Amino acid sequence: MGSSTSHGAAPPPPAPTRDVRPLRMRVNPFLDIDQYDPEADLMALNMGPQHPSTHGVFRIKLFIDGEVVVKAVPYPGYLHRGVEKLCEKLTFAQLVPIVDKHDYVAPMTNEQAIVRVVEEALKIEVPRRARVLRTILAELQRIASHLLWLGTFTLDIGGTIGGGASVMMYTFRERELILDLFEMLTGARFHYNTHTPGGNRHDVPVGWPERVKKVCDVIAARLPEYTAACTDNDVFDLRSRGVGVIDAATALELGLSGPNLRASGVDHDLRRDAPYHAYDEVGVNVAVATDGDCWARYIVRMAEMEESLRIVRLLIDDIPQGPITALKPVKLHTQIKVPAGQHYAAIDTPRGELGTYLIGGGAEKGAAAFRLKIRPPSLHAMAALPWILPGNTVSDVVAILGSLDPIMGEVDR
Amino acid sequence: MYLRGAWRALAATARNFVRPPITEGVRTEASREGRYRASFALVHDAHGEEACIGCKLCEKICPSSVITVGTGPKAVSPATGKKRGTCSDFTLDLQACIFCELCVQVCPEDAIIMMRVQETPGFEREDLVLTMDKLYANEKSKPRSWHTGSGLFAMQDPDAKPSGEAT
Repeated sequence: MGSSTSHGAAPPPPAPTRDVRPLRMRVNPFLDIDQYDPEADLMALNMGPQHPSTHGVFRIKLFIDGEVVVKAVPYPGYLHRGVEKLCEKLTFAQLVPIVDKHDYVAPMTNEQAIVRVVEEALKIEVPRRARVLRTILAELQRIASHLLWLGTFTLDIGGTIGGGASVMMYTFRERELILDLFEMLTGARFHYNTHTPGGNRHDVPVGWPERVKKVCDVIAARLPEYTAACTDNDVFDLRSRGVGVIDAATALELGLSGPNLRASGVDHDLRRDAPYHAYDEVGVNVAVATDGDCWARYIVRMAEMEESLRIVRLLIDDIPQGPITALKPVKLHTQIKVPAGQHYAAIDTPRGELGTYLIGGGAEKGAAAFRLKIRPPSLHAMAALPWILPGNTVSDVVAILGSLDPIMGEVDR
Repeated sequence: MYLRGAWRALAATARNFVRPPITEGVRTEASREGRYRASFALVHDAHGEEACIGCKLCEKICPSSVITVGTGPKAVSPATGKKRGTCSDFTLDLQACIFCELCVQVCPEDAIIMMRVQETPGFEREDLVLTMDKLYANEKSKPRSWHTGSGLFAMQDPDAKPSGEAT
């Protein structure tokens, strides 16, 4: 640290003005802070772990020069619960309610990820009724998750009506309608435990499709109001446009996925490129933006909500009749044994590609996995932080963090 | 430019100002859906006997290991005259329960079911531990959720759907 207290004397290498070079060339996240300009009066600022805008317990150490971030070091792990180790002990029927807790904003897709890898390993063909039901649930969950994201994002950056708090109230109101639908189907607002390897546990109750249609109408009518509150708002525009730019090459290199990747101009969506459930029947119009900034991520998520509504409305009218599970009906399949070998399945959750890598235990391990690795999309989004934070101001750190939509339960597991 | 954005935002506020408040339609526990699951109960069977046979299937399936079952000696049922297992002790610790409903699903006798209302908050940790007495008291005092083991099983089997519930 230098003795000089003047900030203007030695400007830091990542200049606060916009740099035209690709991100990889202008930011050095491995910057040795002792070798940094000794004249600059650096300050180490610990953001989190208990900071409302870190979306959970997440700590970033920020080295700031004045108000400009020079280096950012993320420290995840405050919500580590050792689930992957637990997965080696429990049977697959017991795992489904456990993995609900990873991405606690979208538990439905977590369950689908883990049952899909078991189905993949055992070559189970899921009945069409269950596949259509899973598609509807996944898309409703996507809307609910994006609504929560929008509410918290507007809170993070402020500037919209009510400082963002009004938008949060509105989005939570609409999200509650979707959670009521889930409650009607599964009995729980969260942590549903409604999927099993081979199918679903809960069948569609009487009157559920009609209610889904009603909720879709309500949400479709209110999406333009969010546009009025955010897109047309100049403060929202100023706070998000051009902030936290990730170019396509960097995004691919860092392993971003989902809306974060699509906002950088990479047209990649597992729902369309490697269809699962019933996505090959409906087709998915993937929303892509090119700017790669917070604004583009917002636009992509708003477009995804519209697309999800379209898919739900398309499927809800004729849910096919038939069984909802492929396995022989028994009370509970507790002894599902996965053959030895490696299996991988990935689905596109609201946050991106949630992959599950499973090594079957064979006869030795019985009905448990030898190893189960979860590839959470939020972890890779967090890994991008050291690359995109330097050069931004501290207030933009909150906006960038919020726009990546991280869920700490999924980052740490 | 700024005025236009502010005007549109205010219009959205005004529209929501005249809407009915969201707390107006907030759901009480009694108006929850039939499948809503919150607490537990042990039930009596059609003959008025305690339905639990102490088979320990729920203890084995519980992912959080919150259930402890004590198996009692086999006894002849006075109602049916058949020999059946009994349960001497049953404890369910709500402190770690994740409400996954697996115990309800595996129960061969539909002895453990879930209830539509939540457990009353208490002042001590022991209040969250559901003993056998509390579980049997819940059967009388709380409305039942729709779920039973055989009801969930019937959903898996398209030939045996319970009438009036599933489409």
